[in-house]
Amino acid sequence: METINNRAFRLSWISLASALILLLSPFIVSAHGVDIGAVPISAVEVIALYDSGKPMAGGQVAIYAPDEPLEPWLTGTCDEEGSFIFVPDYSRPGLWEIQVRLAGHGDLIRLEVTAAEEAVVDGSGGLSFLQKIVMALVVAWGAIGTAFYFSRRSS
Amino acid sequence: MRRFVLPAVFSTIFLALLLVAGCTAEQVVEQELPPEETDQTGLLIFTANGEEFIREGFVCKDGWSLSFDHAYVTLASVSAFQTDPPFETDLGWEFEDLIQGRVDLGGVLTVDLASPDADPAVVGEAEAVPSGRYNAIYWEMVRATGGPADGFVVLLVGTAEKNGETVDFEIGLDREVAYLGGEYVGDERKGILQAGGSATVEMTFHFDHLFGDFDEDPDDDINMEALGFGPMAALAVDGTLAVSLSDLESMLAADDFELLVAVMTHLAHVGEGHALAAFLE
Repeated sequence: METINNRAFRLSWISLASALILLLSPFIVSAHGVDIGAVPISAVEVIALYDSGKPMAGGQVAIYAPDEPLEPWLTGTCDEEGSFIFVPDYSRPGLWEIQVRLAGHGDLIRLEVTAAEEAVVDGSGGLSFLQKIVMALVVAWGAIGTAFYFSRRSS
Repeated sequence: MRRFVLPAVFSTIFLALLLVAGCTAEQVVEQELPPEETDQTGLLIFTANGEEFIREGFVCKDGWSLSFDHAYVTLASVSAFQTDPPFETDLGWEFEDLIQGRVDLGGVLTVDLASPDADPAVVGEAEAVPSGRYNAIYWEMVRATGGPADGFVVLLVGTAEKNGETVDFEIGLDREVAYLGGEYVGDERKGILQAGGSATVEMTFHFDHLFGDFDEDPDDDINMEALGFGPMAALAVDGTLAVSLSDLESMLAADDFELLVAVMTHLAHVGEGHALAAFLE
């Protein structure tokens, strides 16, 4: 019959082993791994034309984020069709401003950007499902060990 | 027994603390301190700009090289607005519902856009006005009632040269026009007034719309819609041309005069952004 002493011994080593797994799991997972993700995002295409309908090929684009109106968040150049594509920073919701200029002519338009419904989490940042499981096991085992410790003392 | 149980307890506590710290490290949100009681006003500077075309001269669409001694414009009823949502010229003249604040610059003011110091020319200043974004501007060009540009809303004084021929000109435009523009479009931001700071709003005049630009394609809009200098050079007597818009109505071909009048409605900009225009009479 297994004694309390043996159980506690086993529990302590399991806890320590679990801790080791938890601490090393990111390194184990990323040793030679490749994590390729594909997340659909909404891009914005700016099409700049003169009043005549002629594309503003080479138009200078300056994009301003709503919380920093004095400095361009992004600059670029329209292609031959007067097109410029960019992806706004959806973590900065509000009225974005897009300015296109060429040879003394230009205009400024505004675009309301709302926060993305769900933030895209960088794989290196949040806890993975495996890490969460290990964390739960460690805490559970630790709680059981503690309970045994206090129950032993009281007896 | 204790030598086995105690490590379990401490390792559990350590892990729990480690995990809690790890989980919350990126969730710390900086608390915003309550704003201090500060002066939320600044200095708003009203300017007018004829750009390099006027200050340095240029070659117009029909090859006349133009240089300007003076380019007087007379301005009145100048007002800068904070609008929300921001005013855009597509909305037309009815923009009262958008106005969140306004700063009026009183008086009738004549500035010389050809002055070397007019980069741009300061028309006036308004101190201690509310901070914010001044993203619309209204102004009128009115006839001066005295001074060098008396009787004109715009008076251009300068010299034109082409193939050895020289014409000294004084061209006066005498029809009053109102303009309404949106936020400044250019290589810098203007009109954004921060508390305790200063900002500039600009009335910009593109005289290449009147004369065209030799450097641009002849079929470019800027040249197709411009009069050029040739039709007026043909009216010069002994190398001198002194005319008003009223004079030109009977002196120019009808199409040319129509073009000249139309130019007055797209002469004004805010930076590179077009302004709405309407004749006042």
